[in-house]
Amino acid sequence: MRQSVQELAASYQGSLFAAAFNVCKNAQDAEDVVQDTFVQYYTTKKEFESEQHIRAWLMRVAVNKAKNVNRTFWRRNKISIEDYMETLVFETPAAETLFETVMQLPEKYRIVIHLYYYEEYAVREIAQILKLSESNVKIRLSRGRAMLKETLKEDWDDDK
Amino acid sequence: MTNKERYQQAFSALPSSRQLHLEVEEMAQIQKKHKKNIAVAAAVACAALIGASGTAYAADLGGIQTKVNIWLNGRQVEAVETPNENGRSFTFTYEGEDGTESLGFGGVSIDEDGNETWLNGDELVAHINESASVEKDGDGRVWAYYYDQKTEITDLFDENGVCTITMTHEDKTIQLEITDNGDGGYAFTQTDVSEGAKTLSTETKFTTKSGVYTTDD
Repeated sequence: MRQSVQELAASYQGSLFAAAFNVCKNAQDAEDVVQDTFVQYYTTKKEFESEQHIRAWLMRVAVNKAKNVNRTFWRRNKISIEDYMETLVFETPAAETLFETVMQLPEKYRIVIHLYYYEEYAVREIAQILKLSESNVKIRLSRGRAMLKETLKEDWDDDK
Repeated sequence: MTNKERYQQAFSALPSSRQLHLEVEEMAQIQKKHKKNIAVAAAVACAALIGASGTAYAADLGGIQTKVNIWLNGRQVEAVETPNENGRSFTFTYEGEDGTESLGFGGVSIDEDGNETWLNGDELVAHINESASVEKDGDGRVWAYYYDQKTEITDLFDENGVCTITMTHEDKTIQLEITDNGDGGYAFTQTDVSEGAKTLSTETKFTTKSGVYTTDD
């Protein structure tokens, strides 16, 4: 099955932007990643089994592209994450602290945490998107949670 | 409040990015279906980087050397291909018109999942040979090259600094849309317009002499 870019952008643009931002920590880069991801979807002849398949594919491509941005050696002049955060409006101080704490996690924990808590993917699905083993995803999830708990204390529960 | 709710509340502060769908379609039309356009851009950009590092770098090159034939500005030259120490880029040394010259290239290909893979030497050589080039000579005349073909395009640019030409090598015809960057460099999009060709275009962002330098020996 195929869906139009317009439909997909309406449904997933925000999610892809958040995931890309989570990896590359730069709004402009994340926007470019989202656009490149949709261009790749538009040009690929790949057939998809379902909307969930498309969503997972878009997410995998966006995460990979965002990682590529981090690896490239000609990056744009970056606005610091601290400066960028000043432009965001958080509902509560605790939300701002959580956001800041997540962005300080190492990338490999950050993206797993994001896909689990924001996208509500299951461990198995995260493993497929990131091309990791399920046990590896569980380890990263566990370590990421522990790091969040250490900083956020009572503002973060002990998830099993 | 659960952790998921906390997390989603925190990240809901991120703005929805701009409306993209029209831009996506426009970009896709421009780029058409090509997987290696970035590879070409990266290759030439790397050439500039290596050129900037000077001759000492070239003298330090080691590793396995391979003789290859490459087309450069309408001339086929026999070059020695040497992998760079980082294993990702290669230096091609050949006898130029003004003595021994070297060019550095490195590039990436991108698969359907967005993964980048560094091109190996053979892939780079194929890329160099299949790609046209645009150069301004010492007299200020601008030339387009494709294999052994050479066309002067100095006076073909329109008021927007763009010119479009076709060039043919054996059974392959390409269309070049060349843009004068105004800084001595030229960007161009190369599209295979041969009969029965799949839609394929490559984009070269930098075309300058900055990657060329002469070795001491």
